[in-house]
Amino acid sequence: MAEASLHQPATRPGFGQRVIDALVSGRSIWPAVPAIVVLTVVAVIPFVILLSLGFSDIEVAQGEISSQTFSLDHIVNALTDSLYWTTFQRSMNLALSTTALCFVFGYPVAYLFLVGGRWTKRLILVLTIAPLLTSGIVRTYAWLVILGGRGVVNSTLMNLGLIDHPLRIMNTHWAVLIGMVQIHLPVMILPLVAVMSRHDGRLVEASANLGASRLGTLRTVILPLSVPGIGTGSALVFTLSYTTFVVPQLLGGGNYLNAATMIYEQVVFSLDWSKGSVSSLILMATCLIVLVAIALATNHVTRWTKVREA
Amino acid sequence: MKGLRHISLSDVFGIGPILAIAVISLILLVAPSIIVVIISFDTRAFVSFPPEGFTLRWYAEVFEQGKLVEAMLNSLQVGVTVTLLCIVLGVPTALACVRGRFRGTTALSVFVLVPHMVPGIVLGVAVLFAGALVGVVPSIWLQSISITVFILAVMVRTVQSRLMRLDPALEEAAANLRATPFQSLRTVTFPLLMPAILAGAVFTFVEGFDNLSVAIFTHGFRDRPLPVELLTLVQYTSTPLVAAVSGVQIVLAIAALIVVAMSIGLDKVNE
Repeated sequence: MAEASLHQPATRPGFGQRVIDALVSGRSIWPAVPAIVVLTVVAVIPFVILLSLGFSDIEVAQGEISSQTFSLDHIVNALTDSLYWTTFQRSMNLALSTTALCFVFGYPVAYLFLVGGRWTKRLILVLTIAPLLTSGIVRTYAWLVILGGRGVVNSTLMNLGLIDHPLRIMNTHWAVLIGMVQIHLPVMILPLVAVMSRHDGRLVEASANLGASRLGTLRTVILPLSVPGIGTGSALVFTLSYTTFVVPQLLGGGNYLNAATMIYEQVVFSLDWSKGSVSSLILMATCLIVLVAIALATNHVTRWTKVREA
Repeated sequence: MKGLRHISLSDVFGIGPILAIAVISLILLVAPSIIVVIISFDTRAFVSFPPEGFTLRWYAEVFEQGKLVEAMLNSLQVGVTVTLLCIVLGVPTALACVRGRFRGTTALSVFVLVPHMVPGIVLGVAVLFAGALVGVVPSIWLQSISITVFILAVMVRTVQSRLMRLDPALEEAAANLRATPFQSLRTVTFPLLMPAILAGAVFTFVEGFDNLSVAIFTHGFRDRPLPVELLTLVQYTSTPLVAAVSGVQIVLAIAALIVVAMSIGLDKVNE
């Protein structure tokens, strides 16, 4: 950019022009200021308010808070309430098993992406990105059609004569789990594919030339190198499935309570601000703990791989 | 090379199942949507498989239902608003993150990412409560601005990664040709960024149109967006009407996919 100053225009630009140039050159913070202001007003301040609501006693009069005093009552109440424990435990179990199953079904796709030809790669990208552009409700509805009483699974099994009465799959834990895994699968596959496409193909060839079987290459070369992708994919799938609302609501029937559906009921139906704030905070905190654990584990494993490489 | 590799027994029993799972997963990804589309043409008034006839009745009904059309228009409005806001706020932010010569460019990129990492429902609840405190009631505008904040990071990220790969020589050339920074931005940088902005626009539009987690707490009482309307419809309707709405949405998704493929290419999506 040094040359730029050598070729200063002969006439100095006007003041307005200089202001515009300063703004668009992107070297100062000014272009980002509108975004910073909006993020502060619509995200940061609301979070602070949420936090303060969780840690205080409020009295609401005519839709406005008339008094607010610091108190740990709501947090303590929530932490000693067994309903909270079972609900959050259910969400946590569901999210962790979803993450694990997404890995089991997603990793082979990423492997196929690595070894596959150009058209296989293209097909995998289309099939993983298309669902991300489709509404979550639509994708969940598809499972209602498949698993319902007169759905695909039941009518096929009955036509084959394997069962007399439709199986009750809908409104069970299994329906929720199946839906969760299928809906979040693309989110696991994409980061894995990103890591795979950065792989140095020569490593795989070298491993094969050294006599390793394909399975051996997968285990000792490809898998360790794709750990960062596994970390990112798991973090994304976990966050989404831990905090999802649609799948449990639709596939679990009205009685499947997870953290998100509980928060929805507290906020929208009971209009209980304190409970809603506390549950949201617990949701965010527990989610963060798992994310940090995933990040630490990923870091630990990649460091170990690097040491072994050296 | 491939011919030289020996195929061992462990390959047959090890890699075989892995590839089989991969194929199953790929089928699982696409089959449900295909089934929904098939169902949407069924003549029967309940959802069952396989279908027994062909009709466009449910599609006609989608557009006859005032509530659904209104919800679609509302979501369209939210999608467009979110996209425009993300472009206006996000592109300059990406510029500052990459070109910035001030301290804290990294902090800025992280700051933009924070609302995106927070669960959507927590953001929705926070905005709802904060709005109520200052007298801002849920509305289509509150919904739009909240989803903007939630998804802004995607626009910033997409533009940022494109900016980082731009050849700085191009802008230097513009400067050497006596272009002012504004001129070089308008005539050189901006056209080069267009594919990334377009791809970012597709993702932000889809989020604005489809988002439920933030929208369910911030949408206006009267102007319900499509996801909220659909959620009720799915729970209380047993006809293939929902399948027809889904069919419409799947067509939109395919269009979005084509735009992404043609703008930045599908392999650049997760960068």
